[in-house]
Amino acid sequence: MSIILALIVILPFISSMVLASLYLSNLKIEKKLYNIIAVTTPVIVTILTFIIIYNSTQHSSSYILESYLFNWIDVGEFQIDLRFIADRLSVVMISFISFIGMLIHIYATSYMSDDDGFGKFFAYFHFFLGSMLLLVLASNPIIMFIGWELVGLASYLLIGYYHQGYDNITSANKAFIVNRVGDFGFIIALATLFISLEGNGYEFIDIKNSISLIDNHTLSIIGFFLFVGAMGKSAQLPLFVWLPDAMAGPTPVSALIHAATMVTAGVYMVARFGFLYNEIPSIGEFIAFIGISSALFGAVVALYQDDIKKILAYSTMSQLGYMFVAVGLGAYSSGIFHIFTHAFFKALLFMGAGAIIISLHHEQNIFKMGNLKKYKPQLFIVMLIASLAISGIFPFAGFFSKDAILSSAFLNHNYIIWGVGVFVAFLTSLYMFKMLFIVFFGDDKSYDNIKSLDKTLIYPLYILAFGSIVVGFLGANEAYGGSNSFSSFLALDEHIQHSSHKLEYILALISMSVSLLGIFLAYRLYFLPSQEKSYNKFEQIIVDRFYIDRVYNIIFIKGLRRVAIFFNNIVDNKIVDGFIDGISQLYLQVAYNFASSQSANVRYYALYMIGGVSLISLYLLTIL
Amino acid sequence: MTPHHFLYLATILFGIGLLGLTIRKNLFVIYLSIELMLSSVNLILATFSRANNSQDGSIMALLMIAVIASEASIFLAIIVYLYKSTKTIDTETFTNLRNEESI
Amino acid sequence: MLESIIFSILALFLVIGAISMISFKQSVYSAISFLLVMIAMAGMFALLHQSFLFLAQILVSVGAVVTLSLMIITSINIKRDNLPKHRVSPKSIFLSSILILPIILVIFKAISSLDIKFVEVDSSFGTIQSISTTLFSNWVLPFEIVSILLLSALIGSIIISKRRLNL
Repeated sequence: MSIILALIVILPFISSMVLASLYLSNLKIEKKLYNIIAVTTPVIVTILTFIIIYNSTQHSSSYILESYLFNWIDVGEFQIDLRFIADRLSVVMISFISFIGMLIHIYATSYMSDDDGFGKFFAYFHFFLGSMLLLVLASNPIIMFIGWELVGLASYLLIGYYHQGYDNITSANKAFIVNRVGDFGFIIALATLFISLEGNGYEFIDIKNSISLIDNHTLSIIGFFLFVGAMGKSAQLPLFVWLPDAMAGPTPVSALIHAATMVTAGVYMVARFGFLYNEIPSIGEFIAFIGISSALFGAVVALYQDDIKKILAYSTMSQLGYMFVAVGLGAYSSGIFHIFTHAFFKALLFMGAGAIIISLHHEQNIFKMGNLKKYKPQLFIVMLIASLAISGIFPFAGFFSKDAILSSAFLNHNYIIWGVGVFVAFLTSLYMFKMLFIVFFGDDKSYDNIKSLDKTLIYPLYILAFGSIVVGFLGANEAYGGSNSFSSFLALDEHIQHSSHKLEYILALISMSVSLLGIFLAYRLYFLPSQEKSYNKFEQIIVDRFYIDRVYNIIFIKGLRRVAIFFNNIVDNKIVDGFIDGISQLYLQVAYNFASSQSANVRYYALYMIGGVSLISLYLLTIL
Repeated sequence: MTPHHFLYLATILFGIGLLGLTIRKNLFVIYLSIELMLSSVNLILATFSRANNSQDGSIMALLMIAVIASEASIFLAIIVYLYKSTKTIDTETFTNLRNEESI
Repeated sequence: MLESIIFSILALFLVIGAISMISFKQSVYSAISFLLVMIAMAGMFALLHQSFLFLAQILVSVGAVVTLSLMIITSINIKRDNLPKHRVSPKSIFLSSILILPIILVIFKAISSLDIKFVEVDSSFGTIQSISTTLFSNWVLPFEIVSILLLSALIGSIIISKRRLNL
């Protein structure tokens, strides 16, 4: 069993290397061979994952499957093993990572089929898959950090995949640099944690057992900086700026990395450190606050975007905000459950959007689409399912998870967060259905050469659409006739407040009715006129994302550039170089002076000789 | 009359020769200063020979005179040669050792 | 007493000759001063009972070296323009004196610590006979070497003065 666990991580890396060497070997390789490798590995990984899940259900909830590979760092007390663990939390994570990963791989074989860098793309993709699984299955924070950095690298490579365009490279750099800010926080948190533990454990389990050694104040610092890391990775305020730009990558990349898996790593990390956040509820509330602000921000900005992928990117940010609300308030299972369902419908949305984009020959502006229902009815159906799921309409997946989050906020007496959350639910259905109506209905647009879609492109959508409908029932609580099986399977250390079924129904009714209101409003506003609107001044601010990018540009980029210019012109050129040049000038001057004593005039040489003898004589005079 | 008087005198002559060697640029004077210094050594040798009642010092002085003579011949040949080539006996002009590019 | 007076006079000649030798601007005067020094030096040898050295000094130093020098000076006929232009500056004299002083002082110190006296010597001391006896019994090899040295100096000086090199 432990070998299977290790193989789940190792296989994608191996196949990534095989693909990379095949690609770099410059041989004329059939695309079929790439296809076979690209699809086989995720399929195997998925099968292995299901074996692990089955094994996990056969044991008690505290059962942890371990797979020890080797001791990586062995310095005195500082012992870091490369070890994988599969407890219930990581099993849930790998289940949807590998499953959705597999579907997106199949989708990508069709989506990327016209691309020259086919092998390169899948090498990166497998590399990402392996890194993500490493992140999730890591048994200690150091290995987790390695996975964390590797997914960042994979994300960077894939965002900049179309590296011929300058903007894409800028976007990739932006994603990488903003993530560095988060990683900085992560590193500070880990260092503080290890220092304050004084060697009492580096594995998650040991840290959990010795967490009481650390005083509350230090824990708050650790918790805060860990969350800074999560902010960067999960695109929360104020480090979200990279996510919309990350849409420069190919659509499967957006679906897998920037919707379903990598961006949820921050939420996962907070859940993984749940034992730590349980000690510091104030930081948890801070996290929830940041989460709900991001949710609101993302939803508002998404309402005013033209680019279909950007709409989905802001929507992702908004949904991630929900997840942080959940984990911040200690309802880890709700947060993980929302990750789980979100992965299905957001991947579906992205893949559907990708299908639309590719059939319209890379057109991304929704106002240039319209009337697509006539041409692509099957796409309309899957997109409708996904939109209903994300809007939280019963019985689609999003309903259960969003409801769980909102009700836990309500039961924690955080009514403000609950209220904003309900409002964001309204906005979500509004922007989603705005997009849906504009893209699929609208006036009688006709397309000359609409591209037909492969089966490999469509079938993964059907599977995900099916998933978006049914996975919600996994976590349905007693009020809906379920058994809360998801959170009982996770068995996380959290305080679940039970509420009466009546209150549950009322809350669900409120959120659902505002969602329906949003759909209705979208219908009234956007159903037929699908021409681009001009925005007024206030709306323009939202379109420009409240100028946050511009403020960053002014404060950080321009400021840093000015500092850099100062350092270059003054500190480096004048002070440092001046000092060094001064030393060399000094030596040169001394050397010139010394060289001028070597006048080639023999008389002077005789004089120097006499000087030497004179000195020796002086010495003799003193000692005699 | 003690040997010390002779020795002091020889030392003073040696010093004057050394001074002439350092301060003058005239190649002839430098040559003569060297001769003077050698002669003062000769005087010391003769003094010690007399004081020790030993002929060896005298013979050494005698050989010194031969050395002085050969040195004179070589030095004068060099002076003649240099004067013929450069029309000067100023030591400042003889700077062939210098690498002009490096200064 | 007489010896002391003769020594004093000779010493005076030696020092004045030496100083004037390094002071004259014209090489001829320097050479003539050097002639004076050499003759006084020969007198010193006589005072030390070194009759053969006296003879050799007169013959070689005065008769050969100084004469040769004078002959060279006059034959190459150095013009006034070709002499070094700069006068000797007092500063350089002062600096050189400071440099030379320790050397002289250390020799003085060594001399003053010597414990030697003039002893009575028999009349054959310093004569040609006794010197040649010693020379050809104990100093044959150095004598031969010196003859080779003189020969090579002869050849060398001829070759140097014959050579044509562009300086």
